[in-house]
Amino acid sequence: MRKLMFLAIPAVLVASPAFAQSTSVTGTVNIDGSVAGRCTFTLPNATLSLGELSLASNGKLDTSRVNGKTATLTGWCNSTAATMAVTTTQLTTGTAAPTGFDNRVDYTATAVANSASASDSSLTAGAGAASTVGLFTGNIVVTLSAASSPSNGLMVASGPGGYTGNVVVTLTPTVTPVG
Amino acid sequence: MKQTIGLSALALMLTASPALAQSNTATGTVAIDGQVRSVCILGDPNPALVNLGQISASSGPRTGKIDTIAPRTVTLPASFCNFAGSVVRVTTTAMTSSDTTSPQPGFTRAVNYTATASGWAVGTAAATSSALRDGTSPTATGTGATQPLPKIADIAVTLSNFTTPGDLILVAGNYSGNVVVTLGPAAVAD
Repeated sequence: MRKLMFLAIPAVLVASPAFAQSTSVTGTVNIDGSVAGRCTFTLPNATLSLGELSLASNGKLDTSRVNGKTATLTGWCNSTAATMAVTTTQLTTGTAAPTGFDNRVDYTATAVANSASASDSSLTAGAGAASTVGLFTGNIVVTLSAASSPSNGLMVASGPGGYTGNVVVTLTPTVTPVG
Repeated sequence: MKQTIGLSALALMLTASPALAQSNTATGTVAIDGQVRSVCILGDPNPALVNLGQISASSGPRTGKIDTIAPRTVTLPASFCNFAGSVVRVTTTAMTSSDTTSPQPGFTRAVNYTATASGWAVGTAAATSSALRDGTSPTATGTGATQPLPKIADIAVTLSNFTTPGDLILVAGNYSGNVVVTLGPAAVAD
């Protein structure tokens, strides 16, 4: 009889861990966040001075002064669906040109970033078609081409830098509706 | 009250959403400039040479003296200046004999004439040479009015009024002269 009671002690020891498990609880903190689609130019401005625009031989537009000229901006987009678009404004003096003369230079500007390109011609109003540029960081190289004057006429003289225009490159991230 | 708050919050979210998207769009600008030099170009003279042929009368009371010579016109086609404020200038050099020896009394080795440039600005630019009978002082210059706009036009140069100093008898020989037409800015025309 005395021997049997001694054997009951292990039964108590086994029951003790089972009691501890049943009283544990867990709490969970879920964490989330978001990153907005964003595009930024780290170098947003550049100037392309083309110099003399006319041919000395006949006073007409020297297209070689425009075609192939480049300027480089830098920036980034963090969205795979980011787009790039180009808007051009022709070079003009801002004054009227007499018959036989031109005071306007049209051109096409092509922006290349992340192996994607977007272009626009100043012959047509508004921006050119947008291209998907995606997630990138680095250079946006703008190249001019297809220079022309309205009548291939004589170019009106100007002072230094008297013909002005610009190329605007727009980077747009993916727009995710809120809520 | 609770429903009103909920609608306000929704309205706020809908309004803020496009603004957030817009602010993330970025633009970069490449400014472009250039210039065009001021230039004037004269068309090639047509004809390039005016050959008057025999200029002395070969019979009648004026034998040996300057004959009647019809005006001649030379055209400088598609001449232009690409700026406002240009003028045309003509400088005539009297026709003189290739024999430079001073002529004997009663003779002359010079033929004067008038050169008139038209087609550029209001009026004309004209110059009449007044060389002496020995051919000295052969040149004269005239400047036209200022053309107020860039212009492209044919400039016509007319040679007329051929005379000799004192209507003297011309020394035999070959005679030559020239007209220089200058197209340029009014400020530095001279």
